[in-house]
Amino acid sequence: MTLAPPLAILKNVGRTLAGREVVKGLDLEIRRGEVLGLLGVNGAGKSTTLRMLAGVLAPTSGTIKLDGKDLYENPGLARTAIGYLPEVPPLHEELTVEEYLDFCGRLHGLGAGIREAVDRVILRCQLAGVRRRLIGNLSKGFRQRVGIAQAIVHEPDLIVLDEPTAGLDPVQTRNMRGLVEGLSMGHAVVLSTHVLPDVLASCKRVAILNEGRLCYVADTALPYSEGTLARVRTVRGMQREDWPKLRIVTGAMPLDERDPRYWRVQLQPKLRIDALAAALVEHGFGVEELRGEQTPLEEIFMAIAAGEPPSVTA
Amino acid sequence: MSTATPLIAAHEWRRLAVQPFAWILAAVVVALMAWQFLLALEAFLELSPKLGSLKDAPGVTDLVAIPLLRSFSNLLMLIVPLVTMRAIAGDRRSHALPLLLSAGVGNARIVVGKYLGALGYVVLLIVLVAAMPLALKTGTWLDLGRIFTAMLGLVLFASALIAIGVLCSAWTSHPALAAASAFALTSLLAIVDAGARLKGIDNTGINYLALPTHIEPFFRGLVASVDVAYFLVVTAVALAFAARRLERLRSVAD
Repeated sequence: MTLAPPLAILKNVGRTLAGREVVKGLDLEIRRGEVLGLLGVNGAGKSTTLRMLAGVLAPTSGTIKLDGKDLYENPGLARTAIGYLPEVPPLHEELTVEEYLDFCGRLHGLGAGIREAVDRVILRCQLAGVRRRLIGNLSKGFRQRVGIAQAIVHEPDLIVLDEPTAGLDPVQTRNMRGLVEGLSMGHAVVLSTHVLPDVLASCKRVAILNEGRLCYVADTALPYSEGTLARVRTVRGMQREDWPKLRIVTGAMPLDERDPRYWRVQLQPKLRIDALAAALVEHGFGVEELRGEQTPLEEIFMAIAAGEPPSVTA
Repeated sequence: MSTATPLIAAHEWRRLAVQPFAWILAAVVVALMAWQFLLALEAFLELSPKLGSLKDAPGVTDLVAIPLLRSFSNLLMLIVPLVTMRAIAGDRRSHALPLLLSAGVGNARIVVGKYLGALGYVVLLIVLVAAMPLALKTGTWLDLGRIFTAMLGLVLFASALIAIGVLCSAWTSHPALAAASAFALTSLLAIVDAGARLKGIDNTGINYLALPTHIEPFFRGLVASVDVAYFLVVTAVALAFAARRLERLRSVAD
């Protein structure tokens, strides 16, 4: 499968705030149709990165390109091609949902088609029941939906969401995840969160920031940095020195001292476990049982937060 | 891009129109000025038989219309900070500022949009207040040129006050503090030459800085380019500083 060309390219992006380097040398690509989760502890630089992506804040070094055009040399791009939901939705509580979305659409350059655009986004964000209610009277879940609606009313190419599920109850969180997942159709979505299940549920890729640096980027379906882990039961018993002969295994540990057929092994980076099966059969050890073992994203996240960053993989 | 400023201005109008605050403020201002107007009119009617015997006697324009508009200029110093206090500080407080900052609209356009929104409301108040003496046109002779000149002066005066109000609103996230600082700043500009005037000095640099020096000629029916320029410069400088402040807010706005 060929990858879509990157919609947004961040090249060596840095930002200094109050004399402190908040984001350092950030290189990242975001593709249309994907949801990229930005993870990091508080102060890691997530919100600053999102503000730069949203066109609120200019980088002090490096470039951000959207569809090949520099975001800060073409400020009109932020108006039409980017939608941004900050950590606290930027709502005007004295207006009704419809009035507010009408203004947001016009602010983002919609003209003649504004009526249809507002109707469309109200349906998409399931706001039909509250469209004529004052925003100030809405529940937290609905306010968050209105926040997302303002970010997508103009159908931007890039949607930037800063902690979209913060403060929501479990039911609202589940609904919000569904909404975010749906946004990726035709758009590129970047979201920041502290909630790891949000990333696994909604994101195709994850990027982890620590102290302003990008420490890790990978698909959420394969969140490994150092190679796939697998549990294997061979037909013939094996010794430690047998594993290097396979040339694709970087480490092996017996799981049962009394059973030399049962091992936990780590493969070289980017290898899949079917390569292990093939190598075992080729070397005559056979395969009785083989199971991939995912390194939990949380483990990687905690390791990075503890200052043991794995290498960047994508 | 060019439509962003009028859009923001119209939106500010809409936000004012749906809040009780703007209506109550307008009602209080009109009631207060109507009361002053009726008192002045009654006094004029009592005096008018005596005035008839004087050569070049002051008319209703001198004794009712202009004093009313002059009094309104003093009231503007109090109400304009209340109108502008939420312009940017209110958005910061409700975390709504990123909506404008992320819309690819330049800082100057945002600030000018907020300024025009408040100016529209205050101009409406000026028109409502001026309509009271203008209503006398149906029954007596009015010096319309002088009244319209005074109105022009009030608009320019309000423009400077609003720009200062928007600047103060950009400096703090507390609307009340924004109103207090705008009131303090405009009061300072109003009395900056009080000491000099007490000593009989009225033609120095310090006099030139004072707001009353430049509004008073309009009440006398004079439109001097130096006075117009003064108000425009104060407006432009205050808005430029507000735009500069907004640039700084981009790094902290949430």
